[in-house]
Amino acid sequence: MLLAGLLASVEHGLNRVLRLDSTALPRLRPLDGKVIAIDCRQPALQLFILPGDEGLMLATHWANEADCTLRAPASSLLRLALSQDKSAVLHSPQVELEGDSAVLLDLVAVLQDLELDWEYEVSRWLGPVATQMLSGHLRSRANWTRQGLAALNQNLSEYLAEEARTLVGQREAEARFSELDTLKVDIERLEARLERLARSLDTSDNA
Amino acid sequence: MNDQRKGDHAEPTTHFGYKDVPESQKAEKVAEVFHSVAAKYDLMNDVLSGGMHRLWKRFTIELSGVRPGNRVLDIAGGTGDLAAKFSQLVGPSGQVVLADINESMLKVGRDRLLDRGVAGNIEFVQADAEKLPFPDNHFDCVTIAFGLRNVTHKDEAIRSMLRVLKPGGRLLVLEFSKPTNKLMSKVYDAYSFAFMPLAGKLITNDSESYRYLAESIRMHPDQETLKAMMVEAGFDRVTYHNMTSGIVALHRGIKP
Repeated sequence: MLLAGLLASVEHGLNRVLRLDSTALPRLRPLDGKVIAIDCRQPALQLFILPGDEGLMLATHWANEADCTLRAPASSLLRLALSQDKSAVLHSPQVELEGDSAVLLDLVAVLQDLELDWEYEVSRWLGPVATQMLSGHLRSRANWTRQGLAALNQNLSEYLAEEARTLVGQREAEARFSELDTLKVDIERLEARLERLARSLDTSDNA
Repeated sequence: MNDQRKGDHAEPTTHFGYKDVPESQKAEKVAEVFHSVAAKYDLMNDVLSGGMHRLWKRFTIELSGVRPGNRVLDIAGGTGDLAAKFSQLVGPSGQVVLADINESMLKVGRDRLLDRGVAGNIEFVQADAEKLPFPDNHFDCVTIAFGLRNVTHKDEAIRSMLRVLKPGGRLLVLEFSKPTNKLMSKVYDAYSFAFMPLAGKLITNDSESYRYLAESIRMHPDQETLKAMMVEAGFDRVTYHNMTSGIVALHRGIKP
């Protein structure tokens, strides 16, 4: 019952988020009636997802057979949820996919393409003017933070590589690796020559 | 099974809470209870169960096995919680019938579902669970949630549900039952007989209806008895799941 209560809350929250994107629910409509089973191996846990035009329904049991079953350990499921390249995770050896995989891939695509119109939701509570002011402020803060982090990243790497000489710079490291590669190839070539020379000496001794 | 028949000429009696009443009066008395509570039924369900009734109904839907195109009958459907979800699951090619013997409850349920935009594949029928006005072998799934204990002849109602189900169809009975834990049983008794009538008095100004609710729960058959009744009626593979330490049980049977 505890898990059912938790799932009910997650379902409610998830469907509210889906409603923030005006295209998400119409895109889920073709999946209406499909059942996706998520079979988590470590820890053992089963979850059923039923997409529909009113959102997603989550269930711990489902009496009917699932259209698609995804079996994976919790770590892979977490990677699947967070990763940008979900198909790479789906093709990993720990993940088993059974049934109609298109159902799962369609659902993943809808969730990946979500563009949440949070300003609309906030405007319902604060009104359009306050929302505009708040969103403008938040957007400029976000831009400032993004630029600040990028500048900090660049300055720090330049300081460590160029001034403190604690780390080797990227171009310097690439040049050194290239020299090492050349040296390695030269040594292999010399080794081959020496071997050939040793063989020819052996042949002349025997003759 | 709860019914008692006195002598050859006296009218048979049945339980109405802890009282014995003539069978002909039980339906009328139950109707009075639900006429009285219909308007605030949902609010009272949330208050008295602490929202748990939503989880119990959720589990019922999970075990129903309803799929697109199915025909579902929700008996004693009240304010339409289950019917709304079934309507979504069966889709436009399916059909849901919300049946209730009580006109007030049916009206509240119909208005509530129409207000929420649940329409098109749902019908509302005022019907007695003992004499369901549907053809034989008609539904894929029949549910009755918190309604069976109010039925005068439970065995007749179960047989009637069996009749309208298709072979392979499922009956799901969600009903209050007997707590499996002794401590929980004592806490539950204190809660039912002290808090429930008080809450009824405060919210609906009707403590008697909620006293009846507590009493009718105690008079309802326990898990094993109800299972035996379903087997006797002709259901196959009858199982039950206790929820919240057996305060509520979900019985499931398949029509052979």
